[in-house]
Amino acid sequence: MKLSAVIFRVLLGVSLLFAPNVFGEENSEGFDWLKIVIFAEHQTDYSGAFVYQHDNQVSTSRITHVIEKHGGYEKLESLDGPQREIVRHHGQIWSHLDHEMEQVGSQQARGKFPSLLPAQLSALRENYRATLLGYERVAGYNAQVVLFKPIDNLRYTHKIWVHTDSGLLLKAAVLDSKNKLVEQYAFTQLQIGGKIDRSWVKQSKPTGLPGSGFHKQHDTSRIGFPVNSGWVADGIPMGYRKTMEIQRPMHGNHAPVTQIVFSDGLSAISIFIELEDGDEDDVEGLSGRGAMNLYHKVVGKYLYTVVGEVPPHTVMRVLDSIRNNGN
Amino acid sequence: MKQEISAFMDGELFEDESEILLDQIKGSHSARKNWAAYHLIGDVLRQPEHIHCDLSAKIRNLMQDEPVLFAPRGRAIREKTRAFAMSAAASLAAIGVVSWMSLQIGPESAPRMAMQLNSIRPAKAEILPKSNDYLMAHQEFSPSTDMSGGAYYIRTVSYRTDDVQPRNNLRNK
Repeated sequence: MKLSAVIFRVLLGVSLLFAPNVFGEENSEGFDWLKIVIFAEHQTDYSGAFVYQHDNQVSTSRITHVIEKHGGYEKLESLDGPQREIVRHHGQIWSHLDHEMEQVGSQQARGKFPSLLPAQLSALRENYRATLLGYERVAGYNAQVVLFKPIDNLRYTHKIWVHTDSGLLLKAAVLDSKNKLVEQYAFTQLQIGGKIDRSWVKQSKPTGLPGSGFHKQHDTSRIGFPVNSGWVADGIPMGYRKTMEIQRPMHGNHAPVTQIVFSDGLSAISIFIELEDGDEDDVEGLSGRGAMNLYHKVVGKYLYTVVGEVPPHTVMRVLDSIRNNGN
Repeated sequence: MKQEISAFMDGELFEDESEILLDQIKGSHSARKNWAAYHLIGDVLRQPEHIHCDLSAKIRNLMQDEPVLFAPRGRAIREKTRAFAMSAAASLAAIGVVSWMSLQIGPESAPRMAMQLNSIRPAKAEILPKSNDYLMAHQEFSPSTDMSGGAYYIRTVSYRTDDVQPRNNLRNK
């Protein structure tokens, strides 16, 4: 014990001699933690309660995450207010209200183990400075705190608390350019591994989905298909790369909506373009919930919508730059 | 006087004439207004990127119309200051300023602003249930989903306690 402490001090002393080098290493170690989080998320069974805090509101929820043969299943239940439940598997989402299950959304199934692509990692390094902020205790676990500070004010600062043993994300905060808390999510209780209730995975299967099992995927009426729509937005901040461009059904039977997604590795911006249907309820303008900001605007015969975990002025800037380069 | 100002601006007055004119301008309010107007005309003719336009008098007049506030402290004065700031901004019709300012204000004051400025929407409102489809569609592709599993779906199902139609929040039809 004592010897290791001495060695640690010697190492620390030596590394301090090469301070700039140490700084560089710290920087990349921050991004390593991010890779660990994404890997751990898709490997680990866990169940816990967390609080989500945004805009002077606090809500408590329970999340259960189990890995089955067919990939991960997640169940999210609200613990206060009206009873809601969301079950998610391979990009398909069911919501459970009043013991009735209905499919509310579906995406193309993603890879089993999503991870940071090299391109995303380099975008992250270009646009955020990662700093290790030591250790803190969250939900009874020891956590490494990592701060990702953006180089511009077009994106938020992200602060994450990573469980040092399992690599799970125990707490995450989003801060604005004045270091004011925008939203925060933190486990208050968490069980990692061990005996976790899986009965809901089977139970959920037949309910409310006539003629289709829980594993039925690629229901073509609900899944988007890739397109090259010709829509562009030059106002997308530096470092965001296009990760998806699809046409997808939305709002029931209306005409398909074009969705283009850009990601910088920590946050994403989605652009939705659809024909304006003259619905007077369509509210133009800016709205927000926590870090998520949404901006609607009717331009000509189209309704543009931009959504992202980015500051309000960024979604506005992106929307105002949307144009079709004639395809 | 107007002709003299114009001539002076074109550099057509002698030095002693200029001095007399400048003294007159200093002494006379109407001459100062003419002076400003001629510069504005000149600016517009030159078609620059920015035109200097003196709004101070207009703003001062609007400020004089505002009720005088004697509220000692606390919430009341804060809100009235906001109301005053908002109306001054409205007189400039500067939507950018308005949206910036309303970001500084909590969501609870949004309806109040909407009432005062019915021509301008509250800049950052609560996301309406009918927009939840977009959040849901976005969330699946967000890196935050990779990092936290489904936990960030909480954003798409978040609600207020006065939410009267929770069922509609998640409906796709």
